[in-house]
Amino acid sequence: MKYALFLGCKIPSRLPAYAASTRAVLGHLGVTLVDLEFDCCGYPARDVSRDAFVFAAARNLALAERAGLDLLTPCTCCFGTLRHALRFLGEDAQLRARVTQALAAEGLAWSGTSAVEHLLPLLARKVGVDALAAAVRAPRTGLRVAAQYGCHALRPSNVARFDNPLAPTIFESLIRATGATPVDWPRRLDCCGDPLHQANAPLSGRMTRAKIADALESGAETICTACPHCHLRFDAVQAGSPEPSIRTLLYTQLLGLALGLPSKSLGL
Amino acid sequence: MSPMIFQTALYASLVLCALGLAWRVSAWFRVRVGPDARAVTLSRRVAAVFQGIAATLASRRVFQIPGAFVLDVLLQRRLFANEKLRWFGHLLVVVGFTLLLLMHALWASVTVKLFQGYQPTLDPYLFLRNLFGTMILVGVALLLYGRWRRRTGLPQARRRIDAAFVALLAFVLVTGFLLEAHKIASPRAFYRMAEQFIGTTDAEKLMPLRALWASEFGVAFADLKTPIAPHLVQQGRELHRDACAFCHTPPASAFVSYPVAQILAPVSGLLDQVRADIWLLYLHVFACFLGLASLPFTLFFHVVTAPISLLVNAAAPQRELPGQTFPTPTLSSAVRASRRALALDACVRCGICDMRCSVAPLARYLGNPGLLPAHMLQATAALADGSLLRPGREAGALRAAEGAFLCTDCGRCTSRCPVGLDLADLWEAARGDLAAAGLPAPAQWVQARAALAWAESLEAGPGQYIFSAADAWSAPLSADRRTFSRCVQCQTCTNVCPVVAHSIDSEHGVDLTPQKVMNLLRLGLGDLTLGSRMVWDCASCYQCQEHCPEGIRVADIMLELRALAVHRLGAVRSLGERS
Amino acid sequence: MTGARRDSFDVAVIGAGMAGMAAALFAAERGLSCIQIGNGGSLLFASGLLDLLGVHPVAERRLWQSPYAALAALAREQPLHPLARVDAHSIRAAFESFVTALAAAGLAYAPLGERNRKLLTSIGTIKTTFGVPLSMVAGTGVLDARPPCLLVDFRGLREFSAAQIAATLGRSWPGLRHQRIEFPGCEGAPELYAAHLARALETRETRARTVALVQPLLGDAQAVGFPAVLGLARAREVHAAFEAGLGVPVFEIPTMPTSVPGLRLLSALEAMLSARGVRRRHQASVRALAFDAHAGTATLELEGISGGAGGERVFARAVVLATGRFTGRGLTADRGGVRESILGLPVHQPGSREAWHQRDFLDPSGHAINRAGLEIDDAWRPLGASGKPAWPRLYAVGSILAHQDWMRSKCGSGLAIATAWAAMDQVALALGGTGAG
Repeated sequence: MKYALFLGCKIPSRLPAYAASTRAVLGHLGVTLVDLEFDCCGYPARDVSRDAFVFAAARNLALAERAGLDLLTPCTCCFGTLRHALRFLGEDAQLRARVTQALAAEGLAWSGTSAVEHLLPLLARKVGVDALAAAVRAPRTGLRVAAQYGCHALRPSNVARFDNPLAPTIFESLIRATGATPVDWPRRLDCCGDPLHQANAPLSGRMTRAKIADALESGAETICTACPHCHLRFDAVQAGSPEPSIRTLLYTQLLGLALGLPSKSLGL
Repeated sequence: MSPMIFQTALYASLVLCALGLAWRVSAWFRVRVGPDARAVTLSRRVAAVFQGIAATLASRRVFQIPGAFVLDVLLQRRLFANEKLRWFGHLLVVVGFTLLLLMHALWASVTVKLFQGYQPTLDPYLFLRNLFGTMILVGVALLLYGRWRRRTGLPQARRRIDAAFVALLAFVLVTGFLLEAHKIASPRAFYRMAEQFIGTTDAEKLMPLRALWASEFGVAFADLKTPIAPHLVQQGRELHRDACAFCHTPPASAFVSYPVAQILAPVSGLLDQVRADIWLLYLHVFACFLGLASLPFTLFFHVVTAPISLLVNAAAPQRELPGQTFPTPTLSSAVRASRRALALDACVRCGICDMRCSVAPLARYLGNPGLLPAHMLQATAALADGSLLRPGREAGALRAAEGAFLCTDCGRCTSRCPVGLDLADLWEAARGDLAAAGLPAPAQWVQARAALAWAESLEAGPGQYIFSAADAWSAPLSADRRTFSRCVQCQTCTNVCPVVAHSIDSEHGVDLTPQKVMNLLRLGLGDLTLGSRMVWDCASCYQCQEHCPEGIRVADIMLELRALAVHRLGAVRSLGERS
Repeated sequence: MTGARRDSFDVAVIGAGMAGMAAALFAAERGLSCIQIGNGGSLLFASGLLDLLGVHPVAERRLWQSPYAALAALAREQPLHPLARVDAHSIRAAFESFVTALAAAGLAYAPLGERNRKLLTSIGTIKTTFGVPLSMVAGTGVLDARPPCLLVDFRGLREFSAAQIAATLGRSWPGLRHQRIEFPGCEGAPELYAAHLARALETRETRARTVALVQPLLGDAQAVGFPAVLGLARAREVHAAFEAGLGVPVFEIPTMPTSVPGLRLLSALEAMLSARGVRRRHQASVRALAFDAHAGTATLELEGISGGAGGERVFARAVVLATGRFTGRGLTADRGGVRESILGLPVHQPGSREAWHQRDFLDPSGHAINRAGLEIDDAWRPLGASGKPAWPRLYAVGSILAHQDWMRSKCGSGLAIATAWAAMDQVALALGGTGAG
């Protein structure tokens, strides 16, 4: 398995541990990762110009296409954005024409041959939950984990095709593979509030804190994340707050620990 | 040139330079960038810097400074990591300039003390002068080429004064080469020397010497016919050995000036007549003094600012980010305030930050260079000195604002800047300043007014029904009535919306709910939605779209409305509204 | 063959309303690999109550205490009615199976018996139904005995008024009191939404505060009724906490759609299907359906609803049409007639457009158009133009079937669940009793 690794903008600068742990874990599992000169997926431009965001996304896809690779991203926000761009390109012929023209001006072409994959479905379906469980050396027995799917992983389901959007199980099965115990929490599919933290900080904070309280009340010790935005949001809201807090862990870190990889390589 | 003129000009330039430096350095404590900087007084900033320096000197971090000086300042490791060609060019310029300065300009205080027999007309100085000068020219050419090679498809940030400085540098070098070339070829210079050291200017008596000097030293005697008889040259050599050789070696080693001298040979006499040796010298020397006096105000200032910036990075306590790939210094807000002001001066507009900017594709597509870091920095400086918001400059201010709020904070510019500027911090500060100046992110400026107020402003403008065929390309869902005509107002979208759930308190509450937005669209009252809190507080979590029993793409529509709002409301927005 | 490829299934269920969900559930329980296409949109309009058969005949508006007795009468008098074609034993089994599955997903129903139950609605009327969620069942008991009772509502929650319920029933129920309280944390909010309240009550603190607000208002009340907002995913826990805190039976009153019980039903069913490995395609519809008689498989071309997101092709050995009626777009109507949307199957319908409706809109016997739909053979297969089954393994269940008026008969869930069960029996039979995957 070989993929072009798409890290997005948040991971390299704000959460380099996610990149480190992703590389460590996938390397251990025999997945080859290639680094291309990707740029922003286009998400911030979504509420400014549909054309611009699709162009930015399509450019990354074109780069992957040129390298003959599919794209793999550990960021669910980037995943959703790139998949949305694919959708818009698929249904709007004029948009496609405009974007193709702009790409051609930069010597690139998009024809839709590169797929966009997220880390979790890759691990669950291509590597396989059973294969992961078999590779575990240090099971995280007794650790109660609340899975944070993140919105753009699940919805809209016909774009993300991640799992059943109302009753997803993929993340929990991945957590179980590490030996940890997934916890059922009512707000598990809710938005973490990150997209609003600049536009409406108080509202964003309420959303995040409601999730944290819910996870704690459901008996979780850790919130396991698969998106840097969610992860950083939970950390930021809890930093310096007197309210009871919960630890956050990236899935790649949880899996890496279970596989017996050294903590340092996982950014811990 | 008379020593008095020289000394006066030198001291005047030094004084101007010192005054300029004082002024520029003071700006680092006066200029306010970022809302948090406005809270810090001048004296506090000065004190904080001194405290910071003292703290560093007293801590273990002081041992990092020598290493950082060698690696970052002298060897330019950060530049090497990004642009090897430009690194090499820069190295040539720095080495060439420094050695030229020491060996040639400061010969009286430096070279003579180290090498007793120094004479500018002797080798290796002839060769070295040309070498160093050439190194500078080649280095500058490489830097310019490197810059041209990396053009992003958008205008590169530049200042006119940068070009002027480069031109001045080139001018100094060119006049230097010309002066030397002229002196090599000048008969007048020859006769002057002959008078001084041999005691005669008689052309016939000096014939052998002239023969030698014409054939091996490049002097262009108008009356000397080629070919020159070798026995004359041989005679001249004996005379030369006694009178001239002590101070002169054949200037062929001046590999630039000598060929130029040969080119100038035909007009040597003319140049002598117009006393080119005088005015070329004045041009050359005064250009240097001009460079010195203007140092604090030109690109040359980076020789002061860049080392400071790089050493601050090394000396400051570092923020620990597990797995980080570039150092992130943490500074108190008082020190940071000064650091930002320094950054505005330390930027050399190399454009390396622009090269791998994550939103460069967006910048290109939107046709807005304001998204690129080098431009953002200029805008930040313009914001700090108030020029960004002058009347008539709205377009530029808006471009800067769009750029500042589309920045994704990826940190690539920061990790690549060869001068070690903390650009990420600068952008955050700039965003705060823009917001305070009435240019916040769209979510803020839209929500500064009520939805109804915006709708009324739109009414005053052309077109009542906001969606026309022209919108179909950018907002295809919202412009197509079929999209929401199936809405039966079941309120499912509202019931599953976390924004509505958490906005229950009426103070922060949303003015419309998702199903109300859909209803307004159905009723053709979409203009009421553009400025509504719901549209701007939407977290795009897609619960609404996922649950809608009629398959209406509610969240996609919300995002379309936002983009539409930025354009429509932007057109009727009056700038300068303070938030 | 089936199961060897990722896009190949034993059964494809088109439609995710009550009938589709039941069909998918029963398919999984019979060991058949199943893909289900469609959103559970219509379930959002469910009240959470499961009607079996409440009214027969429709024209007389006669209510029955025993749904099975009603079914027997129906079988005699309207043999073409879909419910008449399922034997009582199967109906019992179907409901038991359905309710057991829901309970496993945390949505408990009161034990199904032989009798219908009556309970209060949010507008003060009394509804006859069969399956009642545990959180609502105390409300059936009080309707008989009429003890002193307190009804609570929340200021700002629209379409639910305790005062109105009390006013409607007040004369025949003197001990019925009503109180309006502020929902904790939402004081001053102009508008509240049921789902948000339900989610908020899953927090211990909010629950405790609400209970504390109601407690002093109890008086001599022997039961307390709330709008159906007692929790979403943790409904059982919230209901139990309320009962423990107030010390008296607590019952939910079904609210207007879109209601929380509908959301609960949807979540529970999705969880059950997910747990049983049913593949789901939300926000998708079937663009084309073709049958290969030779290979014995059907090919379904899927596309995203309202805009093509990823066309997809899947294969199935049997197909179940559970596409519903006009709202769900299983049937489409224009001036010329009613069509079945996917295959254009012949639709049993009134001979002419004029015969669709009675003159009087509220005519108790209902309208002929509502009884239009697909006709089936004994194996639940819709008939083609020739009068024979359109395809050997194409089945139809639920409200798309002809000869029933589920809204007036109060038999919606019964129709869906019973026909799904019966059809799945046929599917299992046709596929050889077991599925390959």
